[in-house]
Amino acid sequence: MGIDFIDVAQAIIDGLLFGSTYALIGLGFTLIFGAMHKLNMAYAASAIAGAYVGLAAIALSGLPPVLAFFLGPVASGVIGLAVYITCFRYMPASNMLAPLMASIGALFFIDEIIIHATAGSPLAFPAVMDDVYFELGEYGFRGDLIFVLVTSLVAMLVLLYVLFGTRLGLATRAVSQQVVAAELCGIASHRTNATTFVLTGVLGGLAGCMAAAAVGVISPLLTVPITVKGLIVTVIGGLGSIPGAIIAGFAVGGFENLFLLVFGVNQRDIYVFLLLFVFLVFRPNGLLGKAIKRD
Amino acid sequence: MLEVRDLVTAYGTIEALKGVTLSAKQGEITCILGPNGAGKTTLMYSIACILKPVSGSVKVNDTEITGTSAPHALRCGIALVPENRLVFHSMSVEENLMAGAYTRLSSDRAGVQADIDNAYARFPSLKDRRAQIAGTLSGGEQQMLAVARAMMSRPKILMMDEPSLGLAPLIVAEIFSIIRQLNDEGVSIVLVEQNAHKALQIANRFYLLDQGRVTFSGTPGEIGEDDFIQRAYLGSKVA
Repeated sequence: MGIDFIDVAQAIIDGLLFGSTYALIGLGFTLIFGAMHKLNMAYAASAIAGAYVGLAAIALSGLPPVLAFFLGPVASGVIGLAVYITCFRYMPASNMLAPLMASIGALFFIDEIIIHATAGSPLAFPAVMDDVYFELGEYGFRGDLIFVLVTSLVAMLVLLYVLFGTRLGLATRAVSQQVVAAELCGIASHRTNATTFVLTGVLGGLAGCMAAAAVGVISPLLTVPITVKGLIVTVIGGLGSIPGAIIAGFAVGGFENLFLLVFGVNQRDIYVFLLLFVFLVFRPNGLLGKAIKRD
Repeated sequence: MLEVRDLVTAYGTIEALKGVTLSAKQGEITCILGPNGAGKTTLMYSIACILKPVSGSVKVNDTEITGTSAPHALRCGIALVPENRLVFHSMSVEENLMAGAYTRLSSDRAGVQADIDNAYARFPSLKDRRAQIAGTLSGGEQQMLAVARAMMSRPKILMMDEPSLGLAPLIVAEIFSIIRQLNDEGVSIVLVEQNAHKALQIANRFYLLDQGRVTFSGTPGEIGEDDFIQRAYLGSKVA
């Protein structure tokens, strides 16, 4: 089977569109890392769990399916807060390992809850605009992926506005840059961090819903791969870099789909990891990350 | 105004403050001097409620603030210009000032803007660099920014931890003239300094801190400067 240019370009287009969900997940990791200099390993699990809650809510109440995209993120925000309180708030600040291990525990805890609640089988997730298909010359654009892209871009713009245009964003940036000075300015760092977890939780929930919508099903098997993809995006973008996470999210989505086309689904992730290793060796600070520095 | 009594603060089992008692009076400049490792910064952080003391009390205008939070201490009228300035390095100068007024940022927009204008009037070099990222300022400008940021909370007591550290003599003179100016405007000052010569010129009252204890206190006129420096840096027994 020959692979021609149009197949490659089409694979990259689809990958870039889907990559916007990776960008959202990467943003969540990078924002929490920026705020607390700690990784929240339970982040993608909260995102998927939120999508499940959204799905359950519309299934049980008979609300229109599109509301899952609203209820899911809200649920993820609440789960994010719970993860903050249980895994970060009361852990000693000097111990980097304790919250890391606690959040890995939360990852598998959430995963297990989902498996028990659904008997481990995948559920159909409502797609939006999946009957729409645009054609531009020889290339096609799937309507559901365009929905994913547009929603992600709107979410990113809202996030950037919150971070750089509001009092809450000022507090978040202050705590991430200099926590002692932030406290001296009257900014309660614990409350600000809790808000960051809620905010990133909402972002993750949106990504979780859209990843599920794009694939058409939601399954507990998604949590670990999305965690890993999110971390890869964060590392490639540069830990703590917001534009880095966005660019890397799209890039990983594009490359992933290209690898899928060239090497097949069984080998796809091997090459995604190779990409990660290439970055770790040749550009360990990522695309836009600064050298690790803290004053 | 500020009353500190028997304050003990420890890092793990090591006591950095071993029962410090001092007071700062309204409208005065109170200096805390002492060698490296005396506990001066620990004392500042304990008063500002960044660190939680093991025992003892800190009162501002008879209100107990010990063991509360730094935002609470700020609301009680204490602001600290921390050691090493600690500006928000990736924010602009103006955002740093806005962060300083965080507690009334949404409720008092006009007041915050007026205070920012006041800060620019006091520190013209900051006005020229209002959109510049704070991490790219010189050390002296960062110190000015840290002072201006602390003043944005309209404190009754301004504490400053080694504001002259690592700065050129000309800048140090400027900082001290600003301290005096702020004091003339009615702000009580608590100043931690290594530069005893400069500090004694403006202080109304001083405390000498050594190994977590107040070893000497008084007014600058009481002893000669040479004698003072002897006590402060070479140990009181030698004198």
